Amino acid sequence: MNKAYLGIDIGSISTKGVIIDRNNKILASGYLWTEGNPVQAVKRLLVSLKDQLDHSQYQIVGVGTTGSARKLIGVITDAVEVKNEITAHAIGTTSQYPQVRTIFEIGGQDSKIILVENGIVVDYAMNTLCAAGTGSFLSSQAARLGVAVEDFGPIALTSKHPTPIAARCTVFAESDLVHKAQIGHSKEDIIAGLCNAVVTNYLNNVGKGKRIAAPIVFQGGVSKNVGVKKAFEAATGHQVIVDANGHLTGALGVAIMVKRKGVERPFSFELAQEDFTTRGRECSGCANNCEVICVYRGNKLIDAWGNKCEKGAVKVG
Amino acid sequence: MKIGIPRAFLYYRYSSLWETFLETLNVDYVVSRETDKAILKQGTIRAIDEACLSSKVYLGHVDALLGKCDAVMVPRIANFGKGNILCTKFSALYDIVDNTFRDNGLQLVGYNMDPIKSGGELAAFLDFGKKLGKKKPESFYAYTLAKQAERIDRQETLRQHEESLRKPGIKLLIVGHCYNIHDKYIGRPVLDYLATQGVTPVLADDADRRKALESAAALTETMPWIFNREQMGAIEMYRDKVDGIVLLSTFPCGPDSLANETVIRRVKDTPILNLLLDGQEGNAGVETRLESFIDIIRFRREAAYGEA
Amino acid sequence: MEKRKISFPHFGSYYIPIRHLMIRGLEIDYVTPPPMTKKTLELGGKYSPDYVCAPFKIHLGCYIEAIEKGADTLIQVDGVCRLGYYGELHEQILRDLGYDVVFVNLARARNRRIRGFYEEFKKISPNLSLKKFSTALLTSIDMVESIDQIEDYLRKNIGFEQQEGSFDRLYEDYLQALSLVESRKEAKYVTSNYIKRFKEIPVNKPLKPLRVGVVGEYYSIMDGFSNHQIEREMAKMGIVVDRYLNVSNSLFHYPVKKMREYIKGYSSYDIGATGTMTLNRALKFAKRGYDGIIHVKSFGCTPEIDAMPVLQNISKDYKIPILYFSFDSQTAEAGILTRLEAFYDMMVMRKEGKA
Repeated sequence: MNKAYLGIDIGSISTKGVIIDRNNKILASGYLWTEGNPVQAVKRLLVSLKDQLDHSQYQIVGVGTTGSARKLIGVITDAVEVKNEITAHAIGTTSQYPQVRTIFEIGGQDSKIILVENGIVVDYAMNTLCAAGTGSFLSSQAARLGVAVEDFGPIALTSKHPTPIAARCTVFAESDLVHKAQIGHSKEDIIAGLCNAVVTNYLNNVGKGKRIAAPIVFQGGVSKNVGVKKAFEAATGHQVIVDANGHLTGALGVAIMVKRKGVERPFSFELAQEDFTTRGRECSGCANNCEVICVYRGNKLIDAWGNKCEKGAVKVG
Repeated sequence: MKIGIPRAFLYYRYSSLWETFLETLNVDYVVSRETDKAILKQGTIRAIDEACLSSKVYLGHVDALLGKCDAVMVPRIANFGKGNILCTKFSALYDIVDNTFRDNGLQLVGYNMDPIKSGGELAAFLDFGKKLGKKKPESFYAYTLAKQAERIDRQETLRQHEESLRKPGIKLLIVGHCYNIHDKYIGRPVLDYLATQGVTPVLADDADRRKALESAAALTETMPWIFNREQMGAIEMYRDKVDGIVLLSTFPCGPDSLANETVIRRVKDTPILNLLLDGQEGNAGVETRLESFIDIIRFRREAAYGEA
Repeated sequence: MEKRKISFPHFGSYYIPIRHLMIRGLEIDYVTPPPMTKKTLELGGKYSPDYVCAPFKIHLGCYIEAIEKGADTLIQVDGVCRLGYYGELHEQILRDLGYDVVFVNLARARNRRIRGFYEEFKKISPNLSLKKFSTALLTSIDMVESIDQIEDYLRKNIGFEQQEGSFDRLYEDYLQALSLVESRKEAKYVTSNYIKRFKEIPVNKPLKPLRVGVVGEYYSIMDGFSNHQIEREMAKMGIVVDRYLNVSNSLFHYPVKKMREYIKGYSSYDIGATGTMTLNRALKFAKRGYDGIIHVKSFGCTPEIDAMPVLQNISKDYKIPILYFSFDSQTAEAGILTRLEAFYDMMVMRKEGKA
């Protein structure tokens, strides 16, 4: 029997999973929408992964979770590693591109830049304030223009004169977009303008003061947009690599971290059949009204968190 | 040696002082072009994202001077004496430019005006002259001429200012820092738009400064920044003589964030429009807001005449 | 005149010396504002101008909650940034909300120094005795120094406690003991006694632990509520957290000339407010080989924004990573923790990479 490691990346929009062997080879992978229900999404993910794995050869000896629901899923899967997505992405990327110097990442809500030297993260930054210039921003603008966000990239490439768009703030951008459309800019120019705006915004905010060196890897949901990729290449003067499996990088990274950690804990796909529920309750101990999240397996409370002080502590077990 | 002067920030207050000083000393200089989209873009790339729009414009102007001069003039102006401080941005400007353009090997020259800790303006200019390789008497002479030029310039401004106050029709008091109001990309479009609507802008910054500072006491007791105090004084002087007040600020100006709120809370008899500019493409929103503000004022005037 | 009940916004643990100064020095009552919560932020945010800095909003929320708790007098200090105008606008907003309170604004005394302060205080304490006031002031200063000394030790050691919670428990005891202090002698006793007791708490400190330096804006850096306790969160990961900026170092012993001299290569002039201290310490942390620097400020804080181009150069020159935080009243907690965790991971990896 060979050892295998499972990494799960649960984001606000999509849930990703990979199973790797000792040599970081991907044995199984899955990618599906979170649909606002991370527990359900992970169950579906496990069903899909189970079918892909050769169970006569491999046994999963440890689980790692990352992404915004990493803690919840970490509890449910009894994970040995619960890691933030920045680190997970960095590890995942460097395992595939050992020479990488700069990682651009634009996801649904967050954008980040990670600088790497000799395979080690030496600096990083994340977007500070709002969602302007992230995936959700592009999706909402796409809806406004009546275009599927998946079509943004190819449409942007047809533009000859991208329209300048204000994208520092979603509110400003929207009013500007309406205005630009009304004074007669064509749709492809506006879409190309949006792609440029995302890049300008990114480089002025997240990338400010950072020395951007090649090779550059671009990942996260927005990396599928060729318009944004092209705008990055124009702005940096370097070729930008987008991996076809880029969406799996976080899951891969956390799986590698499980392997490196060397701690093993039995895992069974039967988990997908078990009944997990989460209940949020508002603590009334003080005006903070902390939302305490309680996680149950069947009727048994297995973990709880969210309280700022002892007043809201929930006893487990 | 050729000096580059960024057409931004306090250039709009000191242009005749600086230019006459340099001219008298036979120092060659160049002023950066008027703000345009490219300047703002370069400034935005150079500046810290969270910094105010006006400072982004400034860095854009410094950028525009690269390769066009031997040194860029960046004075450091901390205060005008006790109780009369400036936004800390002006204390930091020299170091901001120095550090932002470090890798461009940019030379800086300037003077340090900090009367609370060191000498006054004359001492600062004598020191400035020394940095330009000029002897004290030369610099002294240049400074006196420059002061004279500044005074004449100011008198002319004041004359036009009083003329604008006598004009018939709707008059709006435009309250804002000189570097925002006169900037071609920030405040000028607002003034130009008002002109198309037949509205006369009266600039708070053009009011007699001494009188304004005296009048300010009625509106604020502890306002620390002298520029904002001058403007609040002008509001006090003219609130009965204009039809409305436009507070024109750039995002996110620290002093204005507080001063504007005080004005809005204390000046109740005159309509006020709080116009926050962030320099992005959306001027349409600004025009809409100005237009509806002017409409309100017209209705008010008509109603007032109707009653009379 | 009935005894006034005065209040000042929360500011870390400094409410204890402030209370002492008010009760013993001015001989009036002190109302400690209720512990800050989400409601404090909501109240403050609701009545403040939009893009004013977060401490303004937090202070306003504290004032309103203190009034609801019975305060009839409020006090605000002067400052060298926007803080210098907080008082006048706070008072105006509270008046517009219909609160009938006495507002002591020390910015009014700006140009009159000691005499000005005396006149301001006399308004709320007609029998003000200069002798009592100065005695209480000296004791309060000792208390401030005590807090700063203890917290400095805490930041550097809490991450290595053998028994979870042992530092927190003793710190609670310490604050209680400090609250009972009546004289300089007692302040000195409490300080030395607790320093000793803190040092007795067993810690597991590795030979070369990770070290992080914290620099930034005055209020947000010192008030744990404002910065979502990032120093604590960081320390608890097993890190020595080092911060120079505190009330005693900024008000009572601030070697400004020496500090400016040290950063001459990066900064020619004082850039305003705490800028010099920020740059000085950042450079010192960098030269001493710290693993990282955290820069803390409220959104839009001009002096600290202006320090950033210099910080970026220091970061490049010494290859020290800097994590920048900008807080406003709507900052989401989850994002802060993710950033801190990633920063920690990065420091660990860098350290392993070097070894």
